[in-house]
Amino acid sequence: MAEMWISMGPQHPMTHGLWTLKVKVDGETVVDTEPDLGYIHRGVEKICEARDFTQAIPYCDRLCYASAMTWAHSYIYAAEDLLEVEVPERAEYIRLVAVELQRIASHLMWLGAYCPDIGSLTGMVWCLREREMMMDLMQELGGSRMHYNFPRIGGVKRDLPIGFATRARAKLKLFLDRIQEYEAILDESTIFLVRTQGVGYAKAEEMIDWGVTGPNVRAAGHNYDVRWAHPYSVYDELDWTPSIERPSIKGSDCYDRYRVRVEEMRQSALMILEALDKMPGGADTHYASGDAMILGKAPTRAAEGQTGFHHFEDSRGESMFYIAGGGEERGKNPYRISIRSPMFITIPYAAKCMIGYKVADIPAIMGSFDPCIGETDR
Amino acid sequence: MGMEVTSKQFTSAAEALVAEVSESFGDAVRAEVRQHTGGRRKNAYVFMDIDAEVWNRLAKHLKKVHEVDHCSMITGIHWPEHADMTWQVIAHLMRTGVKNPENHEGVAQIHDVDAGTLRGEDIPLEFEITMALGDTRTPSVPSVAKVWKGADWNEKETWDLVGIDFDGHERMRRVLLPHDSPTGYHPLQKQHKLRYHDFNEMYDDPQGFGRKPDDIGKVK
Repeated sequence: MAEMWISMGPQHPMTHGLWTLKVKVDGETVVDTEPDLGYIHRGVEKICEARDFTQAIPYCDRLCYASAMTWAHSYIYAAEDLLEVEVPERAEYIRLVAVELQRIASHLMWLGAYCPDIGSLTGMVWCLREREMMMDLMQELGGSRMHYNFPRIGGVKRDLPIGFATRARAKLKLFLDRIQEYEAILDESTIFLVRTQGVGYAKAEEMIDWGVTGPNVRAAGHNYDVRWAHPYSVYDELDWTPSIERPSIKGSDCYDRYRVRVEEMRQSALMILEALDKMPGGADTHYASGDAMILGKAPTRAAEGQTGFHHFEDSRGESMFYIAGGGEERGKNPYRISIRSPMFITIPYAAKCMIGYKVADIPAIMGSFDPCIGETDR
Repeated sequence: MGMEVTSKQFTSAAEALVAEVSESFGDAVRAEVRQHTGGRRKNAYVFMDIDAEVWNRLAKHLKKVHEVDHCSMITGIHWPEHADMTWQVIAHLMRTGVKNPENHEGVAQIHDVDAGTLRGEDIPLEFEITMALGDTRTPSVPSVAKVWKGADWNEKETWDLVGIDFDGHERMRRVLLPHDSPTGYHPLQKQHKLRYHDFNEMYDDPQGFGRKPDDIGKVK
């Protein structure tokens, strides 16, 4: 049969955003693919060159509409490396709670978007129901629903509100029960299993060579995680194990990538519960904004030649900021901010993964890598 | 607990690597162990200032001898005021130690690594590698896309946004900007100001209807 190129996107349910996947098909079989990105390139890196270090935080929030909190923190850790800032331990605990809440919310958004991709609409409604609990908790921290602007260089904007710990514990305990419901509807659904098992094999070494990191690598049988490999925050004080999934010898399939994220949500929930118990000063005390317990002192200027970078475990893999100081206004602005987006690197790999499978498998494979176009295009 | 890689492990791995690389490459690679300056843990990482010509050879060496398996980011900076470093390319590499699961009688054996037991070349490590280019209109450094496939799209992005070319990179193309962007237009170069119309122009023509693009007639 004659081969032909077809465009999936920019408007297509598979894309989870605005981009085009050009697919070369031979009948129903995919023989070649080429992703075309950049539809929502906003030039965040250039915009940040005209903002000071604090003003850049909301822009970094908006890099990913499903995982704002992790992206703001990713920037903050790099900025603190640049400005040589000490962070109070309580602030680190609060940040850990915020980031792990966002990780759960992001994975729930992923699962909620992935279920209808492969024919389970109930899964979406259930996931968004639980995501709402996490959004409520993060709203208490940041004040708004999606883009929180929560961390500050040297600490956090506000302490945990009074009663937050009690509400968080109740919601997370409920959530830990409800994870079992997802497993029940998905792991026992023949449609879900047929569409995800044995589809989209990816091997660990190949993925790391292509630059794919995070849950996608852990699904392939190696527990590599930036949170233990290059520890930051207070992950070293908590008792946790990175999620890991046993793949088949051909590599990890879409089902493994689903399993590893469900496991990761469970780990994050347990981590938050532990962090609330161990928090210095107690999770039920509320310090005023700007108190030395939650906000350290930070300089506002960085001289030319100063640089900072930080590898961060985002919900989708290893994100990273590289910041060079010495920009406009005598070093008040960064000279250059460079952002590593995990999905920008993963999408070409996911597109390559589809080769050899049927056109109907494309949504299952693409969705299983958790694409987010906001951070991809920046 | 006990799960994380300790500062001691980072320092010992970085020092051993810096000693080996300095011996193999001599003056072309100025390697040193640096410390992160922010946060609670000041972990060590490897910093190298290198001559651009050895970049490809160094990349192969790092991958083969030191098992540096992950190219995290390659990016560039335009410094128009520096004559000796008008263009700077920065590469961030990582040693992750990720391995395929072993096949044991048809069952994959997962690698549940315990960080406390890692020694020598198995210790994860961060690298920052920087190279400077002089004042030229056609900046170019060797491509490492054949060493790490992950470098491919990073190099495309760096060319697209900063305008630094990568010698030996096949199929260089626009990734974030539109495909019909004018030749030579790379927005992260510093001659492109963020607020490119001054205030008078803004008030005279707030909608920008009077502005004419340079490439009029060339773009569809």
